[in-house]
Amino acid sequence: MAVLEVKNIAKRFGGIQALTDVNFSVGEGEVFGLIGPNGAGKTTMFNIITSMFPPTSGDITFLGEKLNGLKPFEITKKGICRTFQNIRLFPDMTVLENVTVGGHCRTQSGVWSSVFHTKKQKQEEAAASKRAFELLELVGLSEQADEFADNLSYGQQRRLEIARALASDPKLLLLDEPAAGMNEKETNDLFDLIQKIKASGITVLLIEHDMPLVMRICDRMAVLNFGKEIALGTPEEIRNNPEVIEAYLGKEEEDEN
Amino acid sequence: MVWEQLINGITLGSIYAVIALGSTLVFGVLGIINMAHGAIFMFGAYLGVMATSTLGLSLPLAFLVAIIGSGILGLLLELLALRPLRGKKGVSHLAPLISTIGVSIFLENLAHHLFGAGNKPFRTSFSEVSFQVGGLTIYAVQIVIFVIAVVLMVGLSIWLSKTKAGRALRASAEDLDAASLLGVNTKKIILMTVIIASVMGGIAGVLTGMAFNSVTPQMGLSMGLKGLAIIILGGMGNVRGAVVGGLILGLSETLVVMFGESGYRDAIAFVAIIVILLVRPQGIFGKTSEARR
Amino acid sequence: MLQELINPYYLQVLTFILINIVLGLGMYVTLSTGQLSLGHAGFMAIGAYTSGILTFTYEMPLFVGIIAGTLLAGIFGLILGLPTLRLQGVYLAIATLGFGEVMRVVFVNWESMTNGAVGLSGIPNLGREMTDALRNIGFEASSIGLRSNALGSLLVFLFLLVLAIIIFIFFRRQSQSRVGRAFAAIKMDESAAEAMGINITYYKVLAFVQGAMAAGFAGAIYAHVTGYISPSDFDYHRAIDILIFAVFGGSEVVWGPVFGAIFLTAVPEFLRAIAEYRYMIYGVLLVAMMAFRPQGVIDHRVLYRFKRKRQDKKAAKRKKEVR
Repeated sequence: MAVLEVKNIAKRFGGIQALTDVNFSVGEGEVFGLIGPNGAGKTTMFNIITSMFPPTSGDITFLGEKLNGLKPFEITKKGICRTFQNIRLFPDMTVLENVTVGGHCRTQSGVWSSVFHTKKQKQEEAAASKRAFELLELVGLSEQADEFADNLSYGQQRRLEIARALASDPKLLLLDEPAAGMNEKETNDLFDLIQKIKASGITVLLIEHDMPLVMRICDRMAVLNFGKEIALGTPEEIRNNPEVIEAYLGKEEEDEN
Repeated sequence: MVWEQLINGITLGSIYAVIALGSTLVFGVLGIINMAHGAIFMFGAYLGVMATSTLGLSLPLAFLVAIIGSGILGLLLELLALRPLRGKKGVSHLAPLISTIGVSIFLENLAHHLFGAGNKPFRTSFSEVSFQVGGLTIYAVQIVIFVIAVVLMVGLSIWLSKTKAGRALRASAEDLDAASLLGVNTKKIILMTVIIASVMGGIAGVLTGMAFNSVTPQMGLSMGLKGLAIIILGGMGNVRGAVVGGLILGLSETLVVMFGESGYRDAIAFVAIIVILLVRPQGIFGKTSEARR
Repeated sequence: MLQELINPYYLQVLTFILINIVLGLGMYVTLSTGQLSLGHAGFMAIGAYTSGILTFTYEMPLFVGIIAGTLLAGIFGLILGLPTLRLQGVYLAIATLGFGEVMRVVFVNWESMTNGAVGLSGIPNLGREMTDALRNIGFEASSIGLRSNALGSLLVFLFLLVLAIIIFIFFRRQSQSRVGRAFAAIKMDESAAEAMGINITYYKVLAFVQGAMAAGFAGAIYAHVTGYISPSDFDYHRAIDILIFAVFGGSEVVWGPVFGAIFLTAVPEFLRAIAEYRYMIYGVLLVAMMAFRPQGVIDHRVLYRFKRKRQDKKAAKRKKEVR
C-alpha cells in the first residue's frame, strides 16, 4: 500500500492557481523527491499535506486514510511531520528543548500529573529527554544540547529541525529544502542522515534544489512547474526528460558540473 | 422629541467621527493601535477649558491652545514612545500597544494632578443660544460642533487626495516600505500623521467640552475605547469607515439613552468591539483583516 | 509579647502583596502562550462580586463563596477565551479590555444585585471568620497574647501565604513540564507548534481559563480582606496594575510577576511621597520597559546567573571539603 497518495490536488489563492491536478503516490520506505523551479508550488503542496490550508479540490490519503479536514496537529499525530523551508525553530528554547517539544504528541502528561510529579510523569519526562538526546546524536548536535536554538549556525539549525520532526515518530517525513545554504561537506552529511532515516523505515518526501543530492538520494521524483506536474519517475527518467530540462533552463546541466 | 434626539445623535456622532479619524490615520500609516489617543483627546479638552475659564480666552483661541497642546503631545508620543520601538530587533507587536497604554495612564494621572479630579465646567459665550426650527430646538453649540466636524472631515479628505503630503501619507498607509523606496520621507510622514491625529483628538476634546459642558480626566479611556470601537466597526485604516462608524455609534448611544437604559450606554462600544472582532473583524468597509489568522 | 511584633498595617500590606502575586501569576500564565489579556480586572471583579454577594446577601459560608467566585471567573474565561482564540495579539488585548469594561458597566448598572456604583459593603471578613472558627474549637487570641483582630490579620496572611506558595508551585511546575513546553512553543511560533503536534486550541484555552481563575480567586480573597468592593476597584487602573506586575517584573519566567508584585506593591509603601504619582511612574515604566527591556526585569538569563552562582558556590564548597 502506498504511504501517501496525492490525488488531483488543485489549489487556488484568489486569482492565482498555485497547483493544478497534481497526482503522485509515495511507496513505503521510499525517498521521494518533489522538485521544480522556485514558485512551482512545492511548499504549497507540503502545506496542503500538513493541513496548514485545505486544497481547493482533490484528496490526500495517508496509509489508506483520507486526511481531509484534519487539523495540523492531528496530522502530526497520524504520523506525518515536516521541516520548514525558512527554518521555524523555537528561538528561546534550547536545542534539547526544541527536540523534546517535537515529541509532544507521543507523550501524555497533562496538568495534574505535571504539577504533582507523578511517577508516570517523571518516567515520561526522562524517556522524552533520553529520546531527544538520541535524536541529537543522530543528527550530530549532542554537544550543543544546552545552547539556545538561535545561537546555532544555519546548517546546524537545519539539522535541529530534522531532529525535532523525527521526535514525533513520523512514518512520513517531509523535508523542505534541507540542504539550502549547506556546503559540500554538510550536504554529504545530510545525504548520510537521510539514508539512515530511510533505513529506519521512515518514508521521506523531499523538496530540494540541490540536483546532485536529489539525483543520488531519491528513488523517484515528481517535477512541478507553475503548479503543474510535468514529469513523474525515476531520477534517470527525469534527467532525460526534455520538458524538465526546459523548465530548469539548463540549470540542471550547470549543477551537474 | 425624537428629532431633537436625532440631532443629539448626529452631534455626538460627528465628535466621535473626528476622534475615530485620528485613530484610523495612525492605524493606517503606523499599523498600530494608539491607546494614548483618548488621553490626548482629554488633554485637549482640558486645555480648552483652561483657556476659556481660567484665562478667559475666546473660543477660537481656546481651540488654538488645544491644537498646539495636543500637537505637542503627539510629537512627544511619536518621538519618545513609538520611534524607539521601530526597527528594533525582536520587538513584539504588543510593544507599541503597551507603550501607548503607558503614555495614556501617564497623561491621565498628570491631568489629575494639573487640573484636579472633578468635573470642570465648560462654558462658552453662546452655550445658551438656540434656534427654533419648525417646533424643534436646535442649539447653536450643536451647529458649531457639526460644522467644525464636517469641515475637518472634508478638509482631511481633500488634503489626503489633493496635496502632495496627503498622497504621500496615503502611500505610506498602503505600504510603508514601498513608499520609502519611492522617495517618501516616511519618518516625516509618520511624525506628521501622529501629530495630525493628535490635533484632531484635541479638537474633538474641545468639541466634547462644548457639547457636554464639562470635562473629566476619565473621559480619556472611555473615548479612546470608543474611538477604537468605531474604527473596528468602520474598518481599520478606512477614512470613510471612521466617519460612518462614528455616526452609527453616536446615534446608537442616543437611542439607548432614549429608551431609558442610559447606564449601559458606554457598554455599546465595548460590546461592539468584541462582537465585531469575532464576527467581521474587517468592519464595514475594510478588506480582509489581519485581526484573525 | 507577640502583640508588639505584629503590626496589623504591615500584615495588611503583606496580604495585598500576596493577592497581587496571585494576580500577577494569572497574568503570567495567559501571557506564557502569547496571549495578552487586559481583562483580568474583569475576572477579578467576577470573583469578588460572586463571593461577596453569595456570602453577604445569601449568607453562604466563606469557602463556598471563594470557590464559586473562582469557578465562575473560570467559566467566563472559557466563554471569552474560546471565541477569541483566533484573534491576533493586539486585537485579543483590545477585546479583553473591552470585556473588562463591559463587566464594570454591568456591575455599575445591575444595582439590584451589586448595589451599583455605591458598592457592596459588609462583606464577611476572612480574618474574623478564621478567629471565630478557632474560638469554636477553644482557641482564644489572648492565649498567645494577641487581640483578636490582630490574630485575624495574622491568620489571613498565613493562609494566603500558604495558598500563594501552592499556586506559585503549581504554575512553576506546570511551566517546566510538557504543558509548559507546549505553552512556550505556542508563544514562540503558533503555526510551527501546531505542525509539531500541539493542540493549540486546548492549550491556549487552558492557559486563558487558568489565568481567569487565578484572577477570580484573587478577587474573592480581596473582597473578604477589605470587606467592601465597588466597580471602580476593578477598572482600567486595576488592569494596568496587573499588566505591569508582569511587564515590569518579567513576563517570560514565573518568578517575574512575583518580583513585580512584591516590588511594585512594597515600594510605594516606603516612598510615600511618590505614591501619589504612582500611575505617572507606571506610565513611564511601561514605555521605558518596552524600549529598553521588554522581557521585564527577571528573565531567563538573570535566573540562569542566579542558578550558576548557587552551583558555583556549591562546587566551591565541595572543593573545600575534599581538601
